[in-house]
Amino acid sequence: MTPLWLIVIVVAIALIFDFANGFHDAANSIATIVATRVLKPWQAVIWAAFWNFVSFLLLPLEVANAIAKIVSTDVISIGLVFAGLTGAVFWNVLTAWMGLPSSSSHALIGGMIGAGVAKAGGHVVGLKGLQKTAVFIIYSPLIGLLLAFSLIVLVSWLVHRIKAKRTVNRTFRGLQLVSAAAFSVGHGANDAQKTMGIIAALLIGAGRLSGDVLKDPETLPLWIVLSCHAAIALGTMFGGWKIVKTMGTKLTRLEPMGGVCAESAAAATLFFASHNGIPVSTTHTITGAIVGVGSANRMSAVRWNVARRVVWAWVLTIPGAAAVSVLTYWVVEVFN
Amino acid sequence: MDRRAVFFVIAAVVSLALVPAIPHEAGKPSITWVGWTMVVAFLLLAVLSWLDHRSRHSERP
Repeated sequence: MTPLWLIVIVVAIALIFDFANGFHDAANSIATIVATRVLKPWQAVIWAAFWNFVSFLLLPLEVANAIAKIVSTDVISIGLVFAGLTGAVFWNVLTAWMGLPSSSSHALIGGMIGAGVAKAGGHVVGLKGLQKTAVFIIYSPLIGLLLAFSLIVLVSWLVHRIKAKRTVNRTFRGLQLVSAAAFSVGHGANDAQKTMGIIAALLIGAGRLSGDVLKDPETLPLWIVLSCHAAIALGTMFGGWKIVKTMGTKLTRLEPMGGVCAESAAAATLFFASHNGIPVSTTHTITGAIVGVGSANRMSAVRWNVARRVVWAWVLTIPGAAAVSVLTYWVVEVFN
Repeated sequence: MDRRAVFFVIAAVVSLALVPAIPHEAGKPSITWVGWTMVVAFLLLAVLSWLDHRSRHSERP
């Protein structure tokens, strides 16, 4: 049986990855409510972190189940998970250093695939789950875009006759609290569950958890669920504090109505994905939704270079992280 | 040319191309409807966007 101290170290690395995910994505959750001064930055990060944490009470654990099945649990070992996580982290750091776009979620999936293939070959990869993930890498931003565009057109049509613009603005400023909370729930559920899936697979592979949890993900031990949600919520709080420093100068002016529509559309997309066990990138989803809101106004209002970078992230992240993980696994094997 | 309509048509084509790739997992409801809904919705938006563009740019008496 794998020594407990080794398992604790790899679980800690997984939770650090989760923390980093929350840290990195905090801006997505709080950017609009801070920019429109609905909440002060410190209030906004607490608001987002709270909804990140409680999301496990609201959405099923299907994404954790899907992630745990990416590589067959028969071949999962401590070295494989370590290589998968290290590959994902290394890929994220490398792309950040080179200024290339990336997605932590896809890097994690790519990392696990790479390590699995390096250990036992391609047949250990769960192709159906991977196929669904690959399709929704492209679908999730498009769904976000479609919903956000439709929502902003509908809402604009509903309010355009209202003369009291200040009342409309005040209403949407209030609604931003709800939409930001909904997005944080979606973010917490989808992203924290990715780490849960990795930890579950590790424990099953190490013989410390029954494989039956994959039949009913709701039976996952509570400590895994709570620790993953706590890690992502803490990451959001610390990431939010970093944003406090730059918020005043770097953000573009955002209208409350557009913010509500973009966040609601992204939240709906994340709820659907989480409910159906589809791991998606929350950053790509909100980017698609923002493009949808922008393009409802005029196409030139959209920062197309950002959209182009997202497309590059679609193409590069999974194979890139997989390649790094293959190398990492070989290094791990040398020391094993 | 209405660039937004062209964008929506491309999105519809991409969505359509991916419909056959949506897997069906045993014991779970099929989610193929998502792909078809996106195809129809994007095509509808393309038509509406084109009509909007045409009405804005048509000559007024």
